[in-house]
Amino acid sequence: MQDKDTLTTNAKDVIDEGVEKGLSRLTPEKISKVINQVLTKETGARFKAYVETCMRCGLCADACSIFLSNDRDPRFSPAAKVKQTILEMIKKKGKVSKLFLKDAVRIAHAECNVCKRCSMYCPFGIDIAYMMLLVRRICHKLEITPLYIQDTVNSHSATMNQMWVKEDEWIDTLQWQEEDAREEFKDLRIPLDKDGADIMYSVIAPEPKFQAGLIYQAAVIMHAAGLNWTMPSTPGWDNSNMAMFTGDFEISGRIAKAHYEAAAKLHVNKIVMGECGHAFRSVYDVGNRWIGWTMPPVKLVHAIDFYHDLLTSGRIKIKEKYKKTVTLHDPCNVSRGRGLHEKAREIVNILCESFIEMTPNREHNYCCGAGGGVINCGPPWKNTRMVNNREKKEQLERTGAKVLIAPCHNCHSGLEDIIEYYGVEMEVKFFGDIIYEVMEKEIYQKRRLK
Amino acid sequence: MKDEKSWDWHSGKKEIPVKEWQNRFNWVEEPYVSPDGEKIASIVNTDEARFSVCVNGETWENNFEKAWSLKFMPDGRLATLVSNDEEWTACVDGVSWETRFDYTWDLKFTPDGSSIAVAVQKDGQYGMAVNDTIWDRLYENISGVVLSDQGTSAAVVQADPLGQGDIEGFSSGIFCAAVNGVAQQEKFMNIWDLSFDSKGKQLAYSIRKNRVDYSISRGSQPWKKNFQFSWKPEFIDKENSVIAPVRQGGKWFLFKDEAPFWNKSYGQLWKLAIHGNGKKIAAVVSDNFGKWTVCENDETWNFYCDTIISDLFYSDNGNLLIAVFKDKGLWDIAVNQKAWNIRADKLWSPVVSRDDTIVAARMEKDGVFYLVVNGKVYKEYFDMVFEPQISPDNDKILLKTMKNGIYSRQILSLDKVL
Repeated sequence: MQDKDTLTTNAKDVIDEGVEKGLSRLTPEKISKVINQVLTKETGARFKAYVETCMRCGLCADACSIFLSNDRDPRFSPAAKVKQTILEMIKKKGKVSKLFLKDAVRIAHAECNVCKRCSMYCPFGIDIAYMMLLVRRICHKLEITPLYIQDTVNSHSATMNQMWVKEDEWIDTLQWQEEDAREEFKDLRIPLDKDGADIMYSVIAPEPKFQAGLIYQAAVIMHAAGLNWTMPSTPGWDNSNMAMFTGDFEISGRIAKAHYEAAAKLHVNKIVMGECGHAFRSVYDVGNRWIGWTMPPVKLVHAIDFYHDLLTSGRIKIKEKYKKTVTLHDPCNVSRGRGLHEKAREIVNILCESFIEMTPNREHNYCCGAGGGVINCGPPWKNTRMVNNREKKEQLERTGAKVLIAPCHNCHSGLEDIIEYYGVEMEVKFFGDIIYEVMEKEIYQKRRLK
Repeated sequence: MKDEKSWDWHSGKKEIPVKEWQNRFNWVEEPYVSPDGEKIASIVNTDEARFSVCVNGETWENNFEKAWSLKFMPDGRLATLVSNDEEWTACVDGVSWETRFDYTWDLKFTPDGSSIAVAVQKDGQYGMAVNDTIWDRLYENISGVVLSDQGTSAAVVQADPLGQGDIEGFSSGIFCAAVNGVAQQEKFMNIWDLSFDSKGKQLAYSIRKNRVDYSISRGSQPWKKNFQFSWKPEFIDKENSVIAPVRQGGKWFLFKDEAPFWNKSYGQLWKLAIHGNGKKIAAVVSDNFGKWTVCENDETWNFYCDTIISDLFYSDNGNLLIAVFKDKGLWDIAVNQKAWNIRADKLWSPVVSRDDTIVAARMEKDGVFYLVVNGKVYKEYFDMVFEPQISPDNDKILLKTMKNGIYSRQILSLDKVL
């Protein structure tokens, strides 16, 4: 556990090789050209309304867990982040210095989770996350995006998945998990490219790369529920999208296209996606709309919705409730972004004996601190992130729970970092972990015939 | 190649019981049906970690530790990818290729069945194998595998190694197209959407030149003009031209050889369909956010849907332009701007008769499957309908179905259906 005194850090001192090299190549002409191009050609009435409406009332400040984590330093309030970045760019007509841009990268990429909590507290509903993403768009075009997340986006662009998973590695991993899961169900399959299946199950690339057990668990749940499902062997299987968070909208659109075209090619009724929040935001709200699909062209179901249906319909039965006391972290993108928080609570109550609410909760919950691509900026920014997550740490500790359910990959990783860094005695789990642990391992149709 | 004239177009109904296979094997995977409807096959599990293929009730003599990607070829042969002793290869009608790989995937064929291709990995290097012969040169990685109708193989390959987090190396351009294993000279930051000309001799594709500039490359020659983005190009062979959807000023345009080709611009434009050496060119377009239609020769259809147009193609004669689309959550087909209004839950791309008078598709509605012809749903429903075929004389339909565990092949006269 770290002493509070050692947690102060000067984020300005962070050296990110990607940012530094990018800055070294910039000229004043290039800087002003890019900024003015984005501000004049890529924004419209929405941006103008936001810029002209903000009254600097400060109501957004207390909404920001990063502001709270930094002892209410006004520089960390959402309105101040806008003032220090995009407003200054407007005021100076793009004629800003490299030093200014270095600060802008830090503020937009490391000190804002684009979680949209502040928008709920703004009397005018100004979407400050949109303003920060606009800054990131400028950073993208200036090629000063932090190195680690840029490498992730490079992977997306070349492989259509975020972790450089090669095409054979993906399929081989599914077949390996299928083989292992046959220890539990002799005839279990992870059906590949099953044309006309009801469900295409999609995941994010860390699952085949590091957490293949989650695919195993999902396969067991699908099999036990007696579902007609499939996974694509082709690119499009990864529903994640870090390009959305670096302002690389073009690659973001291509990623969303690959995902939905994989589903359309398989003629499935719906896509069920694993427990990930940013990926949901990407395929439900952002990537699809850059393409021109106002809503997902194939029905999209987040894991929370899916598990809720399986548990309430009786397709998955619980053998014995989970004993340990749990608390629940509401991921921003599926709670504030989609309103799945009540269903999440119903799942917890079906699965677990004892549940302690986190406060604040539901759509008011604090971000995990990793979201919005912040964790993906990698090791150079980790210490900054930990300082900025102090409020989240205190929120977790107040519950007294020993198990923390976080139905989102980014949240999961970020919360694990907080727990390790601050020495919080908690274990983070996905819903899938708990369902797998407490479910009856029987196939639904067979059970129904008894 | 499909030789429809030699198929049995007279026998009425032929049945093969399939449900009993469940009793013979530990499990039976999803069935596949040959184009002529005479064969139905599944991968079957014969013992612990032992798999084979069951065709019309007969099991292949050899079996495998693993098998996947079962497909009937256009000429009726049956191919799959198989593994024994942790080595993978392709297997056609029970005969495995001699060459072995560490992994194989993305099984493809030419329309005449003369070439069979797979993506392969061997000793951590990547390439393709065609007709049991692996590319002479392998690469760091491979994606976007394609096979021309003549059997030319191509893919996007990573020509140079890339260290972890090496964004500078990535920006320098490490990807190129490789044709029959030979890397093209020019490397780019990204390459997508490989597209052959109709003779399989030339290749065009979308490229990314740097962080923000996208374009089209023809062979190894990139267009000089840069765009905000691009989608898959296509060749117009007669003119030796390349057309491509490109984005500039936030709008999508159709360009031909670096110059604007259509006058109108759109919020989205992709999925090009071409007939008659470019006499007819069509694309899926969106001229209002969330509203989709088709543009043909620079004129938009008097038709809109709100969700997606998944397929767009011309009939062989070019008289019909067919779109598979989804509107208000349900799938449908539009032929020459006119929607069928069948409102399906699932719908497959239709087949068209040689004289363009019959368009037939399979669809699912309320959990059962139907045949639909020229917009009329055939009265009988099934547990599964496989891709229908139309007789060369344009007056019969080969209907392939599954019901109560019995596979059925039947010939329907058109008057029975319409």
